[in-house]
Amino acid sequence: MTFISNLINGISLGSVYAIIALGYTMVYGIAKMLNFAHGDVIMVGAYMAFCAMSYLSLPPIAAILLAMAVCTVLGIVIEALAYKPLRKASSLAVLITAIGVSYLLQNIALLIWGSAPKSFNSVVGFDSISLFDGRLIITSETVVTVIACIVIMLGLTLFTKKTKIGKGMRAVSEDKDAAELMGINVNVTISVTFAIGSALAAIAGVLLCSAYPTLMPTTGSMPGIKAFTAAVFGGIGSIPGAMLGGILLGLIEIFSKAYISTALSDAIVFAVLIVVLLVRPTGILGKKIAEKV
Amino acid sequence: MLKVDNINVFYGPIHTLRDISIEVGAGEIVALIGANGAGKTTTLRTISGLLRSKTGSITFMGQDISHTPPHKLVSRGIAHVPEGRHIFLQMTVQENLEMGAYTDAAYTKEGLEDVYRRFPRLMHRKNQIAGTLSGGEQQMLAIGRALMSRPKLMMLDEPSMGLSPILVQQVFDIIKEMHAAGTTILLVEQNAEMALEIADRAYVLESGVIKLSGAGSELAQSDEIKKAYLGG
Repeated sequence: MTFISNLINGISLGSVYAIIALGYTMVYGIAKMLNFAHGDVIMVGAYMAFCAMSYLSLPPIAAILLAMAVCTVLGIVIEALAYKPLRKASSLAVLITAIGVSYLLQNIALLIWGSAPKSFNSVVGFDSISLFDGRLIITSETVVTVIACIVIMLGLTLFTKKTKIGKGMRAVSEDKDAAELMGINVNVTISVTFAIGSALAAIAGVLLCSAYPTLMPTTGSMPGIKAFTAAVFGGIGSIPGAMLGGILLGLIEIFSKAYISTALSDAIVFAVLIVVLLVRPTGILGKKIAEKV
Repeated sequence: MLKVDNINVFYGPIHTLRDISIEVGAGEIVALIGANGAGKTTTLRTISGLLRSKTGSITFMGQDISHTPPHKLVSRGIAHVPEGRHIFLQMTVQENLEMGAYTDAAYTKEGLEDVYRRFPRLMHRKNQIAGTLSGGEQQMLAIGRALMSRPKLMMLDEPSMGLSPILVQQVFDIIKEMHAAGTTILLVEQNAEMALEIADRAYVLESGVIKLSGAGSELAQSDEIKKAYLGG
């Protein structure tokens, strides 16, 4: 029973990583950049939901929607101010800028909310599910997180396969010049991608803090790095890859904690990443990269 | 219809186009010929707005488009089939065609019918991933995709590149068909012989400079052209 309990916890944590990883992977697919500030958008989303619930006494749904709206705007603004001017710059310059934005967000949060952790109230209202006479307990947060993850995954897949903007995003991710020649506004497409990724980050932030209720300005950075790992693990640029990578990472982390060592769990996670990349450099579901001359 | 006036384009420090001026009248087929690296592709990419000229101007149907972003030119009536086709390899054939009508989505259904009528092979493969098509089919798809925007001016960059002689003939037949249907054509080709055969007028580019220009049939007879490009 402990095994099943760990399995469920792993899937739950993995689902949060997966939602964050989707943001990394979409932005990478479209803009070919690693947005290292993505993890900190999660933290902003969580603080927004926290403030909405604690100070404005809004119901959880309204708080989540507010957090999503703020993060969407934040994502678009970050892209427009920090990344867009670097569209033709080297990828190293963009990467360093992203790290800069990450620290900027953390320090702004520090100024506004201070360094003392806030205790986040779960947004989930119903009780945990108790099975087998209480020997297996599935928390309500787990149920909501896993369902949210599946819904988001299906929604994004449909969006990129069926809608005009979604198909345009795939076109841009494959060949910017050709997309531009089709009349697709590449800059707008990139903004839309940042908007979607950041809205997802807000959801991830709320779910993460509902399950692990300590909220600090650095709350987003470790999950951010893990989700980035998950995206690379699954094959960066691939939506199902981010999903698979996230879930696997969550499982590895929880099982390492349960059966090997809590202190070593992060080390094990990253060691697995290294092994996967040695065997399959493009990740599990990654596309073969055809180098064009 | 299209007037390129005295453009100069640089790739970093390299001066790739020097004082290029070309004109394409409505209903014409104009060919741009020349050796590899002469600046033919650069000229088309500059007209499309993917590259910018330091000087001069580009006007299309009386409007200055020198500073218009490339994605806005499609709805003005310019389609560009780029060198190397640049179809979306991981999308299906039909999705590629839909992208062609991105700015005019209402036309998608009718456009698909039109393209499938012209290229029945694409219809049979409409749900196939474009990367699995043969080179000839990919070229048909690239042309079909450009047709989806109902262009007034179609710019084709080396449409015969890498194709077998039969397919090259087919591509040129399609160009003649599009032209007969009222589309103006600006054609970049290394296959000078065939390009001059169908072109009303042609420009010969050499190292970023226009060396010669004139009627297609005239240039085909010129000793200089025969020697340099027609193997005689």
